[in-house]
Amino acid sequence: MTTLALDRLSVRYSAVDAVRAVSLEVKPGEIVGLIGPNGAGKSSTLHAIMGAAPVVGGDIRLGGDSLVGRRSEDVARKGVALVPEGRRIFAELTVEENLRLGLAARRTTTNGDVLHDAFELFPILREFRRRNAGALSGGQQQQLAIARALVAEPDVLLLDEPSLGLAPRIVDVVFEALARIRERGLAVLLVEQRAQRTVALADRSHVLANGALRLTLGPDDAADTDRLIAAYMA
Amino acid sequence: MTVAFLNLSWPTFAEALSLGGIYALMAVGIGLVFGVLRLVNFAYGQLIMAGAYAIAYSSQWGWPTWGGIMLCFAVVLALSTAMDWLVFRPLRGHSPAVMLVATFAVAFLLQSIAVLAFGQLGTVASSIGPLNQPWDIGGVLIRKIAIVSIAIAAFCLVLLQLLLTRTSVGLHMRAAAMDFRTSRMLGVRANRVIGGAVLISGLLAAVSAFMLTARNPQVTPIFGLDETIVVLAGVVLGGLTRPISATLGGFTIGFASGILGGALPTDQSQYLPSFLFGAVILVLIIRPAGLFTRGDVAMERL
Amino acid sequence: MILRRLPEVIGPVLLVLGAALLGLGVSTSLQTYFLDTLVKVSIVVALYVFIGNSGVLSFGHIAFVALGVWTAGVLTVPESQKNAIMPGLAHFLLHTNVGNIGSLALAAAVGLVFAFIVGLPLMRLSGLAAGIATFGVLEIVNNLLRYWQSVGPGLNAFSSVPQTTGIWQAAVAAMICIVVAYAYQRSRFGRQLRAAREDPAAASAAGISIYRQRLLAFTLSGALAGLAGGLYVHLLPIEVDSLYLDLTFITLAMLVVGGSGSLLGAVLGALAVSGLDSFLSASENGVDVLGLHLDLPTGTTVIVIGTLMAVVLVLRPSGLSGGRELALPRSRRLADLQKARAST
Repeated sequence: MTTLALDRLSVRYSAVDAVRAVSLEVKPGEIVGLIGPNGAGKSSTLHAIMGAAPVVGGDIRLGGDSLVGRRSEDVARKGVALVPEGRRIFAELTVEENLRLGLAARRTTTNGDVLHDAFELFPILREFRRRNAGALSGGQQQQLAIARALVAEPDVLLLDEPSLGLAPRIVDVVFEALARIRERGLAVLLVEQRAQRTVALADRSHVLANGALRLTLGPDDAADTDRLIAAYMA
Repeated sequence: MTVAFLNLSWPTFAEALSLGGIYALMAVGIGLVFGVLRLVNFAYGQLIMAGAYAIAYSSQWGWPTWGGIMLCFAVVLALSTAMDWLVFRPLRGHSPAVMLVATFAVAFLLQSIAVLAFGQLGTVASSIGPLNQPWDIGGVLIRKIAIVSIAIAAFCLVLLQLLLTRTSVGLHMRAAAMDFRTSRMLGVRANRVIGGAVLISGLLAAVSAFMLTARNPQVTPIFGLDETIVVLAGVVLGGLTRPISATLGGFTIGFASGILGGALPTDQSQYLPSFLFGAVILVLIIRPAGLFTRGDVAMERL
Repeated sequence: MILRRLPEVIGPVLLVLGAALLGLGVSTSLQTYFLDTLVKVSIVVALYVFIGNSGVLSFGHIAFVALGVWTAGVLTVPESQKNAIMPGLAHFLLHTNVGNIGSLALAAAVGLVFAFIVGLPLMRLSGLAAGIATFGVLEIVNNLLRYWQSVGPGLNAFSSVPQTTGIWQAAVAAMICIVVAYAYQRSRFGRQLRAAREDPAAASAAGISIYRQRLLAFTLSGALAGLAGGLYVHLLPIEVDSLYLDLTFITLAMLVVGGSGSLLGAVLGALAVSGLDSFLSASENGVDVLGLHLDLPTGTTVIVIGTLMAVVLVLRPSGLSGGRELALPRSRRLADLQKARAST
């Protein structure tokens, strides 16, 4: 298990500075939250880690290795898995095929049922195994997207707004799964708009506004709504 | 339409089926590359021409038939790889329209090289001429090549279906065609998927070259051009974005051409291309995803 | 304001004038190449009016050229000859004849009308779909003209058409096309279309109807292409298959090599590639140049042009002109100054 470190990371799209000199660290066995208003640069940060955004400064390190400049598939194969915004599951493939796709980044070969763990974590997926993923509900698709990322047995898990568009009950399921994932020793970077729940769950939450880190909050701050609002408005 | 059916005979039916099979293979070849590269290879016909010339010249040199076929495969695969390295990959990321113009240029280039190297008049592939002889099946005479093409096409399509649905390479290719970016972030290797698609596309071109040459052993620099244009229309009509709809489109257009060409009187069948492309334009305007796709397929802007 | 931009149009016009003057000074046998070049300039400018301003590909413009050829040709073949080369011709066409200029005007008109009709459904498309759809138009027109005996010679060549296209006529027509293209791109409509090309979302938000502007450009370019067709038929005997893929390829190559982003690019590309093409074609027949005798094998031309086109596409997609127009040095400095002031 390795640590993910961002060191003064800067991302620029043409003329727009999406991320400005952001530094943070995610160690194995912790969840770090990245919250902030729309357009703050949260997604860009995750895309930069996955090699899908133009990095113009700083470094991204996994253990001791730099990830900057690597192709997306190579980053995935180094043990970084992304659960994309909007799930981005393959609607025309079956649930099982979607999961098997996740195997592409797996670094170990296991005999036996590689999908066993995934079904263990999200039992609903076993039921829908042979159905097209497009037939699943939003919440089920989110579980599929997370399971698909976990099938690769990554060291680092990145999540881009997993609670987007989900009913509160389903959000509970997802956040509970994240807690269990933390227990397994993964390093989790959680990008979210639901500030309160994220701050409560994460070991540490950074507030990102306009591309820069404004504030760091701990779980105890979850109840302090004033502080949260102030952070967003800064 | 009733007139057409009255004129329908077993040989026409078999020929139409065989043409449909060949066009289906070509359609998959074009569709697979489009899926992963978003590139419509206008020069696909030239791959077929190259393969046809390989067979033609090998038979001129007195090689056995299987030697000619192997040369055909070698030539087509080499050319296909060259196209990928020299043209497709450098242009990756450009708009599909630019890529279409580029493949258009490559098509003309290859055609001229053929004119230069082989002359305008054409070479005959005499070694596979025997396939043009008919088999007597229950009193009906059907060309051997018709039956052979149906068999080969069916075999290839089944093999391909197995590859796409039962192997991880096939899964990666299908996923890449749907959403390349996300696929790569899951670990799917872009170069392998593209290389695989180009390879299969080349193999299919070689097989098609063999079958088309057997049907019409006179090989000229424009060999395969008309067929490619028709197949392209079929692929667009069926649906560019999914291999299965592209295949169905190719098959349908081949089959329909075979039936209509054989059954309609000449003065009506002359205008087939107009109807065909009229339909293509209609589909592009009204239902750009294609006729054989489920309407809910998310259609990225072409 | 408009004075400063005059080099944009004067440059291309002077280039055409230069080519025309050169053409007048050579032997009659070589003059054909110059005539061909000048007509191609008109075609490529027509292509540019649409493709350059809208950023949308069209594979179908040669269809409008073909219609111009048919219109001007059918109406100027001497009545006595009509039956010979066009046996199935419709009664109305059999007995109608117009003069040279009239035929050119009608050719442009037919091109305009047809482009408008075709554009109505097609201008909603862009990118690959537009490329394929316009290719379909080319196919349909080629197919119809080939077999429809009542509108023209079908597969026969237009052989008895009076050869009225001289250097001056071709040059003047090319210059008219250039001026029209310039007037269009400087007009409100042209600028709106270019804005839409750069940023469709912003343009729509600003109230520009992309569909309407594209339709306008397409129609105008159809008229110019039709005019070029009219010139073509009065140049040499033409048959339907020379108005198909080969011509599409070469004119697209000219636009690509010259640079599809500017009028200068279109004209430069047409002159340069056409010059190269003519030279190579002449060499295929054996030619003496600078004391050397060149006899290139048939087909070299397309190989060279094709390779050139592919190379330009890969290495310098904006073409020779880099997508820029000809500008006076003073105006460029002024533009730079304005830019500098804006960024502070």
